[in-house]
Amino acid sequence: MIADNRLPEPYGRLIDRRRPIDFTFERRAYRGLAGDTIASALGANGEWLLSRSFKYRRPRGVLTMAGQDGNTLVQIGSEPNVLADLRPIAEGLAAEGQNYDGFLNQDRGRVVERLARFMPVGFYYKAFFKPKGAWKFWEPIIRNRAGLGKVDVHAHHGYFDKQYLFADVAVIGGGPAGMSAALQAASSGAEIVLIDDMPELGGSLGYARFESQGVRGAAVASRLRRRLAGHKNVTVLSNCTCTGLYGDNWLAAVAGQRLYKIRAKSVVVATGSLEQPAVFRHNDLPGIMMGSAAQRLIHLYGVKPGRKAVVLTANADGYGVALDLDDAGVEVEAVVDMREAPVATIMTRSVANRRIRVLAGHTISEAIENRHGEHLAAVLVNRIVGEGRYERGATIVGCDLVCMSVGYTPAGQLLHHAGARFAYDEATHMFQPAELPAGVLASGSVNGAYDLDAVLAEGIRAGWLAARDAGMPVTGSEPVASYDSGARDLTHPWPIFPHKKGKDFIDFDEDLQVKDLVNAIADGYDDIELLKRYSTVGMGPSQGRHSGVAAVRVLAKETGRPVSALGVTTQRPPYRPVKFGHLGGRGFEPVRYTAMHHRHIELGGRMMLAGLWLRPAYYGVPADRDKAILEEVLAVRRNVGLIDVSTLGGLDVRGPDAAELLNRLYTFAYAKQPVGRSRYVLMTDQSGVITDDGVACRFHDQHFYVTATTGGVDAVYRHMLFWNAQWRLDVDVANVTAAYAGVNLAGPKSRAVLSRLCSDVDLSAEAFPYMGVRQGTVAGIPARLLRVGFVGELGYEIHVPASQGEALWDAIMAVGALEDIRPFGVEAQRVLRLEKGHIIIGQDTDGLTHPLEAGMGWAIAKNKPFFIGGRSIEIQGSKALTRKLVGFIVDDKSAPVPDECHLVIHRGEIVGRVTSAVRSPTLDATVGLAYVAPAQATPDTQFEIKVAGGRMIRGRVISPPFYDPDNKRQAM
Amino acid sequence: MSIDPTSLKRRGFLYRVLAEAGAEFGEIGGAAVALRYRGSIEEETHKARHLAIADLSPLPRCGFKGNGAVEWLQSQGLDIGPDSNKAYRQPNGALAARLAPTEIFLIDDLGGEGRLSARLDAAWSWGKEKPRKPCGYPMPRADSHAWFALAGAESPAMFSKICGVDLRTHRFPDLAIAQTSVAKMNAIVIREDRGGVPGYHLLADSASAEYLWACVIDAMEEFGGAAVGLEALRRLGGP
Repeated sequence: MIADNRLPEPYGRLIDRRRPIDFTFERRAYRGLAGDTIASALGANGEWLLSRSFKYRRPRGVLTMAGQDGNTLVQIGSEPNVLADLRPIAEGLAAEGQNYDGFLNQDRGRVVERLARFMPVGFYYKAFFKPKGAWKFWEPIIRNRAGLGKVDVHAHHGYFDKQYLFADVAVIGGGPAGMSAALQAASSGAEIVLIDDMPELGGSLGYARFESQGVRGAAVASRLRRRLAGHKNVTVLSNCTCTGLYGDNWLAAVAGQRLYKIRAKSVVVATGSLEQPAVFRHNDLPGIMMGSAAQRLIHLYGVKPGRKAVVLTANADGYGVALDLDDAGVEVEAVVDMREAPVATIMTRSVANRRIRVLAGHTISEAIENRHGEHLAAVLVNRIVGEGRYERGATIVGCDLVCMSVGYTPAGQLLHHAGARFAYDEATHMFQPAELPAGVLASGSVNGAYDLDAVLAEGIRAGWLAARDAGMPVTGSEPVASYDSGARDLTHPWPIFPHKKGKDFIDFDEDLQVKDLVNAIADGYDDIELLKRYSTVGMGPSQGRHSGVAAVRVLAKETGRPVSALGVTTQRPPYRPVKFGHLGGRGFEPVRYTAMHHRHIELGGRMMLAGLWLRPAYYGVPADRDKAILEEVLAVRRNVGLIDVSTLGGLDVRGPDAAELLNRLYTFAYAKQPVGRSRYVLMTDQSGVITDDGVACRFHDQHFYVTATTGGVDAVYRHMLFWNAQWRLDVDVANVTAAYAGVNLAGPKSRAVLSRLCSDVDLSAEAFPYMGVRQGTVAGIPARLLRVGFVGELGYEIHVPASQGEALWDAIMAVGALEDIRPFGVEAQRVLRLEKGHIIIGQDTDGLTHPLEAGMGWAIAKNKPFFIGGRSIEIQGSKALTRKLVGFIVDDKSAPVPDECHLVIHRGEIVGRVTSAVRSPTLDATVGLAYVAPAQATPDTQFEIKVAGGRMIRGRVISPPFYDPDNKRQAM
Repeated sequence: MSIDPTSLKRRGFLYRVLAEAGAEFGEIGGAAVALRYRGSIEEETHKARHLAIADLSPLPRCGFKGNGAVEWLQSQGLDIGPDSNKAYRQPNGALAARLAPTEIFLIDDLGGEGRLSARLDAAWSWGKEKPRKPCGYPMPRADSHAWFALAGAESPAMFSKICGVDLRTHRFPDLAIAQTSVAKMNAIVIREDRGGVPGYHLLADSASAEYLWACVIDAMEEFGGAAVGLEALRRLGGP
């Protein structure tokens, strides 16, 4: 079945008549053709009402057919604000209109329009806040009506991604200027990326009428497309919108679900121009559209835009529209020309030859809606008697279509993004680029060229310059565009005819009428940027594309200043709405697995993030979390446990000056540290604040293996490289964190387990004492062995090449089974370390903690000349402390365990906070670390902690370690 | 006959993922390497000409860094030129990738015997000279970095989805190196074609091997790319 308004071939260059597509709009079934947009398919079926306006809920339909306006925003499922004149239809697509109550064609909310006079511009700044409490009444009402479309907060995440592209020259716009520029630049050998937002290159060549027969555009387009196809160095991105032109010629472009990030050496902006509407009463009714929109419907989609038309024009293009309509079988009732004496051209003569009525020196003063209130039914035509004024005594012309061709403005948004300056040209009544940034060129009608020959010549000139700017070998001298630009007599200086009853819309998005702007200016907002913000003109979805120039004209008239003195508002990216999905893209979030990661999963490990790493928090089901942690703690204390410590940072510091580097970077002294021993390292920054800790294991006179915290190692590594570059010591630093897998085999039976796997290292306490380090093999795997005591038991850290970490784990678990070994996780380790009173950097310290207040004065070497932060710590040491980190116990066994950051209160004042606290299964008490006032820091002093719910509990200071205070167990 | 990767001490960083995808493993140099997947080797080689990824992580590689590293390697017979960010091909097919004036990343040939790495590791020592003659320091590259090989004409297009550097063949010549970000990870990309087919070595944090592998597989999907085994790469031909 052929839809009522579908034109026969050759109309409809973008549609495929062999492929019908069924879809619904407002739950009614429609059939379109492949290549149709939602709007064109609905138009083919005689459906022109697409949405309702934001404020007055007025019916809206096609305006530009180019995705330049907010009239065509529809909702598709969970996706709001889809441009119906750009989105292709698809089988099963279900679209709905937006902003209505009840039915799209019977909107109960349109009652608001009758209250329009109570809602002048800026009324929401002046209302709703009085009397007191009024806002609570108004807020839900306003929120219910505000916004465009409906957001589905439960919508599924779509798959979006990004792609980088590279070009010598990027050309934006696939019309005659863009294609011509791309060809010229490509001829120099430059790599070109040509971005066009339509499915087929050609731009206006695909629909506009350049001469009376209407064949030249297609012929030129075909020739240019053919030539471009012959260039291998031209990449064409169709259906792709360049949304931003940023510094250093970085372009963002969106196509489908993908965001392209394009870097070009030079850029040609050939985005064309935007046809501008005329302003008259009810100029927003469905059926009133740009002349170019009607031509797009006819030529691109094969859709007859109406049955009876009036063309409102002020240039020759309107006559081309009339000829196109006539050719397509639309009855052209009249060409209403705002010019008193239209310049005779071949187009005007053709119109005259077809006996189409021309009313020169006239305008439409008012459009009249049909009896359903949803479409145009007729227009009133009046003789113009002055700027914005017309005679009484209108002629009524019945029509269902008005095509407006009264002028243009450059589509210069991308040039604005790049920092171009625009100036108003009094001769053409248009803004034009006056200054462009280096490496950015404008070409075609965006640069003021409208005649087709001029546009093509402009393209050649821009392409030549762009290739040259990109460093390509260009021949000859800069081409000169010798044609007349054709920009004069195109744009009417005042296509604005206010009506005493209003509804003469300047901004369709925000339902702003002429009087709204006049009143705003009268309120004192007489600068274009202020006028924009106060009235919201240009702040809707179309971003002032059709209201910006008209607003400037009204401002100029009301303030008595020339348009050229006012300028236009700043245009910022994005050019078209960009989804968060596009910005987020594929969402690359690296995650790091230790070599034993999958073994943890197999053992029931509950994984937690530690920086980018995943570590087992505990092993078991969440319901038994506390029990699992308790059993893991007891296994280490009484038997033997195994924890994956691969995430700890590892740095190989090697060279003759290795000890010197550590001496300068850490608080302790390392010059005399024996080979085969480890020593605690504490790092401070230049202000003396603690930044990291670990151990330095000396495996050779010139080799230290330095550990760092999981989250801190990258910063420590950068810190080392930075200072090494400053000091130029003979030392090399390598971050080998990922290269080594590590485990801590801990517990009284750890030596027994290890001895079954390690035969080349004497593991006896005498030969391999606490804080000793050795190199040997474990289970036949080369290993670095460290006797350290973070958990306070006999234990061995075993570091092996990451590729053999899983085999190490398997071997230890296998022989450990004889001793009932149990893997333990981070949570148990936190309990164990706190029982020993060990601090965790970043948890028990903050961005201000210095060693003295953390009780780490023992870790500062007194006899070395310098280390980073040393001077600051010395100064801090000369002043009284303001807080002190202490160990505490809660004697009341029924008291809750404080959380981290629960406050320490003294006489009603906050004096500190808890940094760590656990219920210790070993000690059968709650123990922790807390900052307290210095006066409270002596052992047995009691202090108050405010826990959840405001309850106060008492802590008592005791000196850590809480467990095994003589450290005998770790030194066994 | 595929071997069980867990029967060996040295294991690839993503052997489970490869096994799930149907990899058949063979032992090379004490580690299980994915030699092929389901289907014929001809098919796999065809894929490798179009777009494919192979996990070479179990194969030998090493590195040296620090003062004197390059001079020492040259004294060991390696051919290393003066430019950084360039890989130098060795007579046995290995690549000496010069990441910086004093840093070399060595990837052995696809034979997998690791003769060069083994020889160099054995030759390096702290020595007894005082002062010690600068000869750099060995780097555990076989464990710090996963090693993926990308092959096929569509490789540059695939890379453009996960890497901001222009890796197209006419812009990024054979043996060029990019030290850059790939899928938000620090990575080293080395171009090395095989049998006229564009190829890239991708070296990145071994701990994130599974993540990076998944990113590449995802990025390859629209081009019909697939995982292939070492044998398909070998059949592409020599560098």
